[in-house]
Order: sequence, then C-alpha cells, then structure tokens
Amino acid sequence: MIQIDGLTKRFGDRTAVDDLTFTVEPGRVTGFLGPNGAGKSTTMRMILGLDEPNAGSVTVNGHDYVGVTRPMREVGALLDARALHKGRTARNHLLCLAQTNGIEGKRVDEVLELVGLKSVARRRAGSFSLGMGQRLGIAVALLGDPKVLLFDEPVNGLDPEGIKWIRELMRGLAGEGRTVLVSSHLMSEMAQTADHLIVIGRGRLIADVGIGEFVRQGSNVLVRADDHDRLVPRLIEAGGSVQQGTDGSFIVTGLEARRIGEAAMAAGVVLTELTPQRSLEQAYMDLTRDSVEFQTSAA
Amino acid sequence: MSAMADTMRSEWTKFRTIPSNVPILLATVAFMVGLGAVTANGASRGYQAAGAAFDATYISMYGGFLFVQIAVGSLGVLVVSSEYATGMIRTSLTVVPRRGRLLAAKVWTFGLIALVMGEIAAFGAFLLGQTVIGAAGAPPATLGQPGVLRAVVGMGMIWALVGLTGVAFGFLLRDTMAATTVVVAVNFIIPIIGPRLMPDAVGEWVSTYWPISAGLQVTTTVHHAERLAPWTGLGLMAAFTAVLLAVAFAVFRSRDA
Repeated sequence: MIQIDGLTKRFGDRTAVDDLTFTVEPGRVTGFLGPNGAGKSTTMRMILGLDEPNAGSVTVNGHDYVGVTRPMREVGALLDARALHKGRTARNHLLCLAQTNGIEGKRVDEVLELVGLKSVARRRAGSFSLGMGQRLGIAVALLGDPKVLLFDEPVNGLDPEGIKWIRELMRGLAGEGRTVLVSSHLMSEMAQTADHLIVIGRGRLIADVGIGEFVRQGSNVLVRADDHDRLVPRLIEAGGSVQQGTDGSFIVTGLEARRIGEAAMAAGVVLTELTPQRSLEQAYMDLTRDSVEFQTSAA
Repeated sequence: MSAMADTMRSEWTKFRTIPSNVPILLATVAFMVGLGAVTANGASRGYQAAGAAFDATYISMYGGFLFVQIAVGSLGVLVVSSEYATGMIRTSLTVVPRRGRLLAAKVWTFGLIALVMGEIAAFGAFLLGQTVIGAAGAPPATLGQPGVLRAVVGMGMIWALVGLTGVAFGFLLRDTMAATTVVVAVNFIIPIIGPRLMPDAVGEWVSTYWPISAGLQVTTTVHHAERLAPWTGLGLMAAFTAVLLAVAFAVFRSRDA
C-alpha cells in the first residue's frame, strides 16, 4: 500500500505536484493517468525518495521508503529503463543492483529468464533495443520480489507482444496481492490493464475512481426516438441521466447503447438514432482538458 | 552481511564491470613504474651535483606519480560522474535510498581499490627504480633504511587520497569534464606548475601547504626544513580530503537526484 498525503513539489515557481492525496491499495492494478507534464513521474520519484517534497508525506507499507533496510524487498520500480551504464552486460547491471540488497546471483538469473532476456544476459545493455531495455528495467523492479511495484510508462517502446506480456505480468502481480501503480498518458492502455484509476492534471488530483465507474461516467450516447416522452422515464429508471440535445435529440449519460436499445424495445419506442459519442479516451480528454501543460491550439 | 558491506560489494561489481576501468587501472600502475624508472635514470646521472639532497626513494616514484595521478583522480571522478551521465544514479538511489550509505560505499570501495593499486605501483616503481639507479652508478635505497618503507607505503596512501579527491568532486560537480578539470587543477596545475608562475611567497606557501604538496612529503626520505614533516603533511592532505567529502555528502544528501 502506498499512502500519499498532501504531497507538494515545486521546481522554482512551477508547482509540479500540488497538494496530492490518494492511496494505492494492494491486490489491484492502479492506473496513474495524466497528460504529459501532469506530475506523474515527479510523484513516483517522491515515493522513492529521489525528490524531496516541499510539503506532505509519502509512506510505503506504512513507513518512509528511505529508512527501509532492504528497500528492494519493499518496492520495485521502473522509472527510466535507459538509466543504466551502457557498457555493462545485462546480467552485471542486475547483479550490481541485486548485491546492494544482499540478493544473490541465482535470483538475477531467475529474473532474466522471467523477462525473457536469458539469451542476451551477457550482451552489453547499451546494445539493447528499446523493448529489450524496457524488459531489463522491469527485471530490476522484480529482483527483490517486492510487495509494491511502480512502473512509469512501462509499455513505451514495446511491441504488441511485449505490451500483452507486461499487461499480463502486472495483472498477475496484482493477483498475488501486491500493490501495482502504473503510470501512463494513454487512456486506452489503462482501460485494458487497470482496476482503479488515479487521474491527475497539473499536479492536482482530478479523479480517484474504479475503472467501471470511470467507464460509466464516460459514455455519452446521442439518441433520437419517435416518442421521447415514453422513452425518457425508462432510461432514468435504468440508471441513465438524460439531457436535452439540439434539434430534438437527447444525450444519455451512464448507459451503454445496448441498454438504451433494450429500454426502447421494452417501451415499444422506435429509435431513429443511437450514436455513442464519447469513447473512454474522450472522457479522459474532457476530464484533463483544462489541465494539459502543453496544448496544441484548435485547428 | 550488513547493508554497508552489501553496498560495497555492489560498488566493486560496478567498478570491475565497466569494461575500461580495470585495463586503465593496470596501465596506470605500469606507467607509474615505467616513468619512474625513466626519471630515476635521468636523476641518477646528476646525483653528484645533488649531493646529500639526492633522494633515491622519492625520485623513483615521483616522476611516474606526477602523471598517473591524473588517471587515478579521473577514475575517482568517473566512479560518480558516469552514474550521473548515464542516469544510473537514479537507479542506484532507488535500490539504496540512503544517500550516506551509497556515498560511503563508493568512498570506501574506490579508496581501497586505489590504495591497493597504489601500493603495488609504489613498490614496483621503488624496486625497479633502485635497480635503474644502481645501474646508473648512483647509490640506491633499500627498504631497511630509515624512512624508506614509510615513503613507499605513503605513496600508496597518496593514490587513495587523490582518488578520493576525484570521488568528492564527482559528487560535487556531477559532470565528468568539469570534475576532471577541477581535479587536475587541484592536484597538478596549482601545486606543480603554479609555484613557477606565482610570486615567490605564494609559490612557497603552495609548495608547503597545498594539500597534495604537503601530502607528498610522506614520500621523501631527505627532509627539507621549510616543508612539513612527512606524517604531518599526509595528515593535512587527508584532512583536506575528508572536508571535501563531507561537503560532497552535504550537497549529495540535500539535492534531488
């Protein structure tokens, strides 16, 4: 479990993380979502003690990470897979990190096998492709068999097979009861991996919701029917909320298109249009629109 | 094993698994011995003129040391700055979040590496140097003579202190080029070239009290009255290095990685 309380970090006069409070629970994959520059990496760096917060606190499994005797057994992190000496072999890179926590070479070989790098263990890490480097970074995180895992944009540079692999890995780790926090700026990625979402923008918390709730909030459907008066009460009954649209249409929030179709059928109403309007991606964009650090102007 | 011992073991692995480090270190030892022999040969031709000031022990080691100390200091810098250059420092601090432990492990590990290699280089340079001096017709020194063993062992200690100056500036400046330049200035340009360019009084002060100039008194067997005593000089250099490392620690601890 990771508990973040009132966390604030300023770089000069820019506030990167602004009074952030949330808890990352064990046993599920928590997606940490936000546009580029939202403060995700800075928050992760503060969890690990790399950056000192200006205010607030972070605890990992109830204590301060910096004071832990065997940190790799508590937290495994992938922050920047390229943060390694290019001249070292993959195995030696892992070995020198493992030794700091009294982890033996045998575990290094196990982890190399686990991430699929066994055959290139004696190759220089600098010669690795982006995807192989990412796997090596994940191997570092797994070395100590930690209870908490942090992955900062782990699918960067991975091919589709690699993306599927890391998704299953994260789901598996959470399934074993571990705490998994994974950041991304892509909603579509999170939709397929996360159980819970923490969305931030400009360093502030925007949403802390289950993925189901987020999906539900996110779906808007444009509806036209021959008899609105009979349909609308049915939709409200089914849990949707209805807003008047333009030229005789209305917008239903909180119900999928299929449920609206079923409600119409039950009411004996003919639907003349049924158009899902917002994808999850759109919901996320709407949520963070005001907090995007670098925005292109509308064309 | 204690966390500190584990971290030192890791630092040793880091050092030996960068492909260039070990060859550079061995070459440095070879250069010190070889250049020492060349300067010893040159000096022994003029030993009659030097008279009682002829220091067979010092001359066999100093000529090589003068140049190879640049490599020793640079290796010390690289132990730290290569981690900043590659971003490895963030990975290192993630697995060893205690900054003091990481810094201390680097200091002890590289300090010991430099000390051991320094002793090998010092004894090698001394032994080969005495053969060369004898062959050139000057009186060679033996380890049994007063102060000779202290001078040779002391030379190895100077290696360790020069290396640690590099480690300290690596932490303070983070950038390889900047830190190496400062180390070369502190250990070579100011003490070796400086006195020739400075006003006499300043040059004299530098020759006596500048850390490495003071420290090198431990490698002499013929004492100059105006210079510090051997162990006093080495103590001054050690104290200077300790202060540098303390400042490096304070900066390293307070700075975001």
